[in-house]
Amino acid sequence: MSNPEDAPPVAPQITPPVASSVAPLETSQPVEYTTDAPVTPPVASPVAPLETSQPVEYTTDAPVTGKVRLEAAWGSTEGDEDLSVTTSPAPKSDGHVFKQQYKQWNGELNPRWMRNWAILRHHLLGVFKKGHRPWGMPIRLYLLIVFIASMSDVGMTLLSGLIGESGLHSVWGVSRDNLYGHVLGFFPRNMLYYPVVAALLVGGVISEDRQHGTSALYFSRPITRFDYVAMKFLSVAIIQGLIILVTLALYYFAEIATMGRGWAWIIDTFPMFLATVLSAILLIFTYTSIGLSLSSVSKGKFFPGIALLSIILGTKVLAFIASNLFDREILYLISPYDCLAHVGQAIIGTQPTYDQYSWTWSLASLVAMNALALYVLSTRVSSMEVTRE
Amino acid sequence: MQGDLIIETTNLTKSYGPHMALNKLNLSIPKGATGLLGPNGAGKSTFLKTILGLIQTTEGEGTVLGLDIRTQGDAIRARIGYMPEYDCLNPEMEAIHQVRYSGELLGMNPTIALARAHETLQYVGLGEQRYRNIGSYSTGMKQATKLACALVHDPELIIADEPSNGLDISARNYMIETLTNTVKTGNRSVLMASHLMDDVELVCDNFILLHKGKLAAQGRIEDLKGFDREIEIHVWGGASRLEETMIARGLSVRREGRVMRILHEQEDTTSIILRCAADVGAQIRRMHEYEASLEDLFLSIMEDLGYEVKTSEDLLASPAQARKVDAPGHMGGGSA
Repeated sequence: MSNPEDAPPVAPQITPPVASSVAPLETSQPVEYTTDAPVTPPVASPVAPLETSQPVEYTTDAPVTGKVRLEAAWGSTEGDEDLSVTTSPAPKSDGHVFKQQYKQWNGELNPRWMRNWAILRHHLLGVFKKGHRPWGMPIRLYLLIVFIASMSDVGMTLLSGLIGESGLHSVWGVSRDNLYGHVLGFFPRNMLYYPVVAALLVGGVISEDRQHGTSALYFSRPITRFDYVAMKFLSVAIIQGLIILVTLALYYFAEIATMGRGWAWIIDTFPMFLATVLSAILLIFTYTSIGLSLSSVSKGKFFPGIALLSIILGTKVLAFIASNLFDREILYLISPYDCLAHVGQAIIGTQPTYDQYSWTWSLASLVAMNALALYVLSTRVSSMEVTRE
Repeated sequence: MQGDLIIETTNLTKSYGPHMALNKLNLSIPKGATGLLGPNGAGKSTFLKTILGLIQTTEGEGTVLGLDIRTQGDAIRARIGYMPEYDCLNPEMEAIHQVRYSGELLGMNPTIALARAHETLQYVGLGEQRYRNIGSYSTGMKQATKLACALVHDPELIIADEPSNGLDISARNYMIETLTNTVKTGNRSVLMASHLMDDVELVCDNFILLHKGKLAAQGRIEDLKGFDREIEIHVWGGASRLEETMIARGLSVRREGRVMRILHEQEDTTSIILRCAADVGAQIRRMHEYEASLEDLFLSIMEDLGYEVKTSEDLLASPAQARKVDAPGHMGGGSA
């Protein structure tokens, strides 16, 4: 079998680039490249050299022509006359502005609590200043609006105290129903304020770590999964707490300050206040756990927020419709808000609005909801990867 | 930790059900730069997770910087700087704050972390760009930021997973230079997982080759390249005759068309080649010492292990043919 590599090589046809008078090489006969082969002299360039006998002088007396001005401006013929090579000077080795130099650090790393504090701080301070977790401007604006709106009862209490209007105070002053309403009232607080705040906060807290791969930044450091989740949970809960609990405390202290309440009143109402605080903590915990579990199953910031609102408001509407159509309240057990409201009514001691079943059913339902949410959250966070997401 | 070893494993095994991700791995990685090589599914990621102390081993033991990977994961991760292959940066944050935060996550005081963030970003060449949002960075700048995050606490060992992935020539060169500088002048160790053999060759002194969870090869790159030195010749005419003659005279010849590589075993190998060429009337157009690159060695070892590996050149020269050979028989490949 003949091998193509064994065939005598055929020299490529060379066309001289300039001198057309040179005959093309014969292709019929193989060319032998031996040491005896004559060396062809380089073909003379047909381009005539530039005249250098009359140098251009750039004096004030020199006639101003287009050519001279062009040459003066751009030096278009400079260096072409003698066909010499122009080389740029070698770069100097000294005078570098940047010198890559590795600097060692001999400090000591702080223990676990400092690492956890860093996560918490990163998320909390992000609401107020740059350089930490970048909460979006709409989120920050909405938090401010809700914070101010949540203090409507504080403002009215101060106003009634200032103008001494007892009618106004009887409507807005601290009472069992008003404390309940501050935390668990449906409209507007649990329809427009708190669930929306929770949805905005949980939106990207874990899902963005999946999306951007920033989970690798946590887990390749000495951060445990528990610490990671706990600090994320706490940071979201604290921001909600600043809105719900701080305004609740302000409301209570506004009553004391403007109405001049004494110790007897405080001792009478403080258990009621504490019960409201407990209800608020339950509400924050539930919204946060459901929200974070949704955040942990997603890679975007919109799904968890929308899903949380759908769960809270959707189940409420569904149960409300079923209650009105069939006069059966049992469906309220699937609604986180209604369960919270039912338990809150029982703890604070207001008139119950869910009277077909005991509040302990609502408490059991709340526990089940939170347990399920925390299970999903822990499972999903455990599966978060360092090497690939 | 024995002597200068930074990672040491004994019968390290990790299985996911019936699948053995790591199979009795015995490794001794010395200080300096080491390349971690292996095809997809070789167990590189599992190995990295294991030495970071993130997953429990099924069997065997190991130490990283003298710390037990089974019980001291937190302590290991505090002394290691890990640079992931994939994105791990928040695009809405400025690089300076991202690096500071990654330092704080290690337990650094915020003020000190910020000072170190300035230093490390300067070191990786982002000094003037450190107040820009990461989202506006190029791939090279993002890679550099990831490296800065890994270096912020001045770790003893840097694990760089595909550090030059997706970089252009200049960014790649800079990354290689930075890693080399970290090893040479910073006196730090680097474990570099990469598919780019040239990069591993430039940065690392040692290499580890994993295959199906087992150690396929380990050693110094220099030593390995010292084996099998060859002379490469480009022949014009009479290549088959020349090949036959050289084989007849006892030379070991590998041939690919007009290019032949002859094992450089004796002092007079060059003379024998020239004499053979003169005898058969073949022209030798080019002749030079051929030093195997790490890629050649990788391909050679992989072929020995039963992989049908194609080089980049093969794929570029004839992609259709390359696909045909790789494809299974029922899809038109195999014997075709």
